[in-house]
Amino acid sequence: MESRQTQDEHDTLLEVENLTVRFPVKRGGLFRKKQWLHAVDDISFTIKRGETLALVGESGSGKTTAALAVARLVNAHAGHVHLNNQDFLALDDEQLRTARAGLQFIFQDPYSSLNPRLKAEAIVREPLESLKSSNRQNSGASDANTSQDHDRIVDELFEAVGLRPEQKKLFPHQFSGGQRQRIGIARALATEPALIICDEPVSALDVAVQAQILNLLRKLQTDRNLTYLFISHDLGVVQHMCDTIAVMYMGKIVEYADRLSLFNNPQHPYTAALLSAVPSVDRNRRSKFKRILIPGDMPDAINPPPGCRFSSRCPAAQPACEESQPELTAKKSGHLVACHLVSETGESPIHFKR
Amino acid sequence: MSALLSVENLRIELDTRAGVAPVIDDLSFSLNAGETLSFVGESGCGKSMTALAIMGLLPEKIGRVASGSILFNGEDITKASDERLREIRGNDISMIFQEPMTSLNPVFTIGEQVAEVLRRHQKLGRKAAWSTAVELLNSVRIPDAARRAKSYPHQLSGGQRQRVMIAMALACKPRILIADEPTTALDVTIQAQIFDLLEDLQAQTGSAIIMITHDMGVVAEIAERMIVMYAGRMVEHGNVDDVLSRPRHPYTKGLIGCVPHLMATLTDSRPELTEISGIVPGLNEFGQNACLFASRCNLVGQQCVQARPKEKQFENTQLSACWHAESV
Repeated sequence: MESRQTQDEHDTLLEVENLTVRFPVKRGGLFRKKQWLHAVDDISFTIKRGETLALVGESGSGKTTAALAVARLVNAHAGHVHLNNQDFLALDDEQLRTARAGLQFIFQDPYSSLNPRLKAEAIVREPLESLKSSNRQNSGASDANTSQDHDRIVDELFEAVGLRPEQKKLFPHQFSGGQRQRIGIARALATEPALIICDEPVSALDVAVQAQILNLLRKLQTDRNLTYLFISHDLGVVQHMCDTIAVMYMGKIVEYADRLSLFNNPQHPYTAALLSAVPSVDRNRRSKFKRILIPGDMPDAINPPPGCRFSSRCPAAQPACEESQPELTAKKSGHLVACHLVSETGESPIHFKR
Repeated sequence: MSALLSVENLRIELDTRAGVAPVIDDLSFSLNAGETLSFVGESGCGKSMTALAIMGLLPEKIGRVASGSILFNGEDITKASDERLREIRGNDISMIFQEPMTSLNPVFTIGEQVAEVLRRHQKLGRKAAWSTAVELLNSVRIPDAARRAKSYPHQLSGGQRQRVMIAMALACKPRILIADEPTTALDVTIQAQIFDLLEDLQAQTGSAIIMITHDMGVVAEIAERMIVMYAGRMVEHGNVDDVLSRPRHPYTKGLIGCVPHLMATLTDSRPELTEISGIVPGLNEFGQNACLFASRCNLVGQQCVQARPKEKQFENTQLSACWHAESV
């Protein structure tokens, strides 16, 4: 492990290498060959401390599964996850419990992700308690003062997420959607995690409330130097929240670039189509970019098209695209792109600027 | 030119546990043939209720038109008989809903469901209805429509199901199509397909569209005029370009500013999003003689809590129900 800690890598909080998640598919027939659905197929990305990386894509792209696999909430079939230079996938159950304190989730649905039978303060306190019990087993430290410590931490968290002290005694159903999401955020912060995975944190909320939560997440990030892995299908939100973006399609990363470059100069045809499909209030944007329609739906994930997975819908597809799968390669533009047709300099086959 | 649909001083009351609430409170607007009008607002603002009232589908027993009128081609459909309403629905006015899975019948094939509309409303025979249904499915770009017509709803993707709903809604070439958040449950590339399809079909049939949405981007993309609703009341009304570039109601301004939009050129600056503090009023607060947005508004003054704002009309026909409309 020593060798990993060069200066540059010290800045790297999360490193995911060749992560693959597959699920067995039951499809009739006793003697049928076992089939696999590759929900996440050989993806790699890194997140620096204090930064935000977005996994974006449409339903079925594998973005949530990838996040769950990083947190070991589903089992990875292959690959490595290094969190804080610790091989996260190699930890045994006991080590994992302690290590999980360093990685917390904010979920999409604030209605189903809070235990309806616990008061708000107990929900926020729960991660502290479970961390304490695993620490005690490890170190045998006394916990005479921990209860008071926890009270103090819970008070401080309620303030940090913008909830009033008297709301600690309320149950989840007594809160609005936005307030519940604040409870979820406080719970995620309780163990002072290095990495927070935000899985569509605002998509279940009314638009007026989304702004409150997004502003809060950004403020907390600045105040506490948090690192986010941000899962979203909403490119407007991603644009606002993230430093680096990985675009996923059918379990693969198809383009990987920093925020400005990706949004101003998308190179993979799918990224271009995705961006052009977002309705915009900006008249200049609408006159600057064409709407690129990609026909049909995402193909069957169990029998993906041979070659490039986007080839069946790609407006620029060539016969070669159906033959071999493009590798994610670095272009001179600084993007990583998995497309046979994007040139070395990062010239896209799609011209979506008018 | 007289309007195709004209809603005048409509008031819809809903019985709630806390008493009677005016979920639509003095709403007036008109819709011309072939145009697209959008209703925007948060959940519970009354945008879907407006649609249901036009369809004559208000929740039975608990909801009613208390006053005002809905004139379709000059005929007041709030006074129409059930039989007449059934004629209007489907033939003249039809609707597509947010969740295409729950609006289709799971035990009939999609072909049968589209054909049923034609048999019911256009009195076509079984065979003629089926072949027209296949044509319709083809026109909404269902691939291999003749074979797909024999599929059940669960065998289709979400986007395809919404296309089937559109085929059913447009089967009788209605004069008005009401689309209630038709793409909210769909991915953005599929949404783009559906909008493209709606625009094409509108150009062919000349139907007017009422698009109900919470997404300002959608409004900008497909509507010519827009109405912003808040707590059962129209707070702003105008041409989409006018309203988006210069909103005249603090709520509209908030709705536009609280969402991070994709702009023509992205820059390094990421200013904080405008927050609309607080939450929408409960049904028991509807109908007060005051501005219902006052508790969340940063321009609030004495007048706002004492009287319901009068609609202020600007030169470009923009309307704003705000006492401070000029200073927004």
